Amino acid sequence: MVSASLRVIHSLPCLLLSRNLLVVCTAVCLLTSAGCGKKDATTAGSSEKTATATSQVTDSSSNETTKGSVTPAESATAESATTETTASNASAENPSVEETALLSAPPLGPLPEVPVPADNPITQAKVDLGRILFFDNRLSGDAGTSCASCHDPRLGWGDGQAISRGYAGTQHWRNSQTTVNSAFFSKLFWAGEVPSLEAQAKSAITGNLAGNGDTVMIEERLALIPEYVTRFKEAFGVSEPTFDLVLKAIASFERVEMISRDSPFDGYLAGDIDALSDDAKKGLALFKGKARCIACHNGPLMSDEDYHFLNLPENKLFEKDPLRQVALRYQHYIRGVPEEVYRNADSDLGLYYTTKQESDRGRFRTPSLRYLEYTAPYMHNGVFGTVEDVIEFYDQGGGDDPSQSPLIKPLNLTEDEKFELAEFLYSLSGSEIRIQTPKLPEYQAVFD
Amino acid sequence: MSRFFGTLTVLLVFAAGVVKAQGEPRPLGGLPSLGEKLEPAQVDLGRQLFFDPRLSGDATISCATCHSPDHGWADGLALSRGYPGTRYFRNTPTVVNAALGRLMYWDGRLPASDLPTVVRDHISEAHFLQADGRLVIERMRQVPEYERQFNDAFGGEPTYGRILNSVAAFVSSLTSQGVPFDKFLAGDEAAISDEAKQGLELFKGKAGCIQCHDGAMLSDGKFHSLGLNANPEIFKDPLRHITFRRFFRTLGVPDYALMRQDAGLYCVTKVKHDRELVRTPTLREVSRTAPYMHDGQLPTLEAVVSFYNSGGGPRASKDERLKPLGLSEDEQSALVEFLKTLSGKPIEVTRPKLPAYQLRKLGDN
Repeated sequence: MVSASLRVIHSLPCLLLSRNLLVVCTAVCLLTSAGCGKKDATTAGSSEKTATATSQVTDSSSNETTKGSVTPAESATAESATTETTASNASAENPSVEETALLSAPPLGPLPEVPVPADNPITQAKVDLGRILFFDNRLSGDAGTSCASCHDPRLGWGDGQAISRGYAGTQHWRNSQTTVNSAFFSKLFWAGEVPSLEAQAKSAITGNLAGNGDTVMIEERLALIPEYVTRFKEAFGVSEPTFDLVLKAIASFERVEMISRDSPFDGYLAGDIDALSDDAKKGLALFKGKARCIACHNGPLMSDEDYHFLNLPENKLFEKDPLRQVALRYQHYIRGVPEEVYRNADSDLGLYYTTKQESDRGRFRTPSLRYLEYTAPYMHNGVFGTVEDVIEFYDQGGGDDPSQSPLIKPLNLTEDEKFELAEFLYSLSGSEIRIQTPKLPEYQAVFD
Repeated sequence: MSRFFGTLTVLLVFAAGVVKAQGEPRPLGGLPSLGEKLEPAQVDLGRQLFFDPRLSGDATISCATCHSPDHGWADGLALSRGYPGTRYFRNTPTVVNAALGRLMYWDGRLPASDLPTVVRDHISEAHFLQADGRLVIERMRQVPEYERQFNDAFGGEPTYGRILNSVAAFVSSLTSQGVPFDKFLAGDEAAISDEAKQGLELFKGKAGCIQCHDGAMLSDGKFHSLGLNANPEIFKDPLRHITFRRFFRTLGVPDYALMRQDAGLYCVTKVKHDRELVRTPTLREVSRTAPYMHDGQLPTLEAVVSFYNSGGGPRASKDERLKPLGLSEDEQSALVEFLKTLSGKPIEVTRPKLPAYQLRKLGDN
């Protein structure tokens, strides 16, 4: 049903919007427009709706969902990108999967307010407590590993390794993802195994290849650290620290202090046309058009939070490091795959571990692209060391595995276009988030 | 058990008049033999695993870290060290003769008849080895030499059950050998000194040790309080106190945060009068396993004898039979001499060379 003519219409509200907004001259207003939302249901009718919304733009609050948000600069560039897409596909009567994906992609935009779960409202006391806990190695079994061991502020809040180091005596089997902007995800970990930062922290602290912590031991350790007892009381009104509250404090810290929204692209979205170089602007057009990145890397977070099989090259570490092999088999074992799958385990099965569906083998949740300047290497297995490597992979269109995502196809980008795309990707990183490592409070005997 | 009865011993005990309402002590006897026949291949494999730190979560400590042949298969410490990042709050007992006792741990929470479960408890507990058994299996599978040994010992690949069974088999194989007192019981009068013989008489008579340290294992397998106050080190050291609190909390002791004494048997039974009662340990190998008592607060056998001679500790939970004994210095020495006859030849093993991880063919699991 989606035709070339509809695509042209689709660009109209954006045009109208941009003109209005130029008049209104607002910067970072998060205008929610249902019309430009996830579904490509934008029709002529929605332009009216959008225009109405635009007239109220100064009143629009920033706490609404922004899956469909449009901002001045974004809408301005959306015009050219859409035009380009339209032009290149104008002859197609029946849109392909990737065309549909492009059309239905929620537009890029500034990050919304951080979502906060109803049962864990943010307070400064929680944030301050969570910051200390994040660096406290006593949350791990042998008190040798903290969250910051693999989410190191000096390494983009990842660990700079292709595949993470893991707990002492083990080696992990996946790349350590940055915790920056993780607060915006509704699914955490590479295969979206858990639904919240709190649940992510729980898995990381207790996982045998990560923190290997015992929850009751952790609670008892904290109970004998007077400063923590005081801080938990201040933050949560409890007389003794609990593991559940440890998770809530860490999540609160991440929601407040690990947010990056000051990238050049954010400046551009806010109306500063000069925030992006000309190359980056061309890269943005490619991102939304010829290179089709936006099919998955869309919305303010630049992730569709969906699962895709990219048919990536395997990381050879699994052939070279016995402990990586241990970790890979262990993952198969503990996730309860059928024995035959365990016996043949030779790669990370991604979403399959959760669903046990053949079609989910090797599918991983789309990561955000924000902050990527600091988070190399890339991909769930860290197989690409640079942004350029990643672009090269996508340009070649993956391999010949029939189950590879249909969105992955050769792009035929020129060298200039690859450069421009990289320039755009680099514009997605703001200033580096560095904090002073907190001083850890000490144990103290409680009896005289 | 009748073969361990010595009529003479029985007569001596009764003549001494120390048997009170608590029931008559069983006579001392020679070391029992193991009920089961051990498979040598399992024992050999278990020996390697016993020394292999890959059975712990962070692969830094093994069973032998706390049960070291250099310290009578204990650790020579008052209080056990525990898993890295923790410190334990009780003394490490020897594993020698462990399979011959009735119950395990100072609170007797597991039966000695099920050593594989005791091994499992050690591997998985947060204060011991803090390892996920499934991870241990995969580590074993990454060692071709182990894969071969498991196949030899069990006819298959490493499984958690086989890991536990082989370690248990090795532990079961650790029994006293050439114990002077056993030779004496078997009729070799010269096996122990005259002083030790005098000590034996005191043990069964004036000192009353046999009231609890009876039978072939020199333990009644029951629970008593000696009236000792807890070793203050437990509460001075937050790490020990943390482990103490966590342990009693996980076992369901409600007042774990306020407790200043080891709950002892209470943590198993939750019966009020079981508070502070701990299991009578065997005295076999006792001269090699200092320091003594469940929290290691008595450094030497002399100190232990002196402690009993003075009538035990101050706590109200104390067993009513503990009274000042009025032993002379010579008598105390004689008692110590007797206790020393309960240890066999040192059980020495060559620390096994541990087979290394090797790469496997990926996808051929």
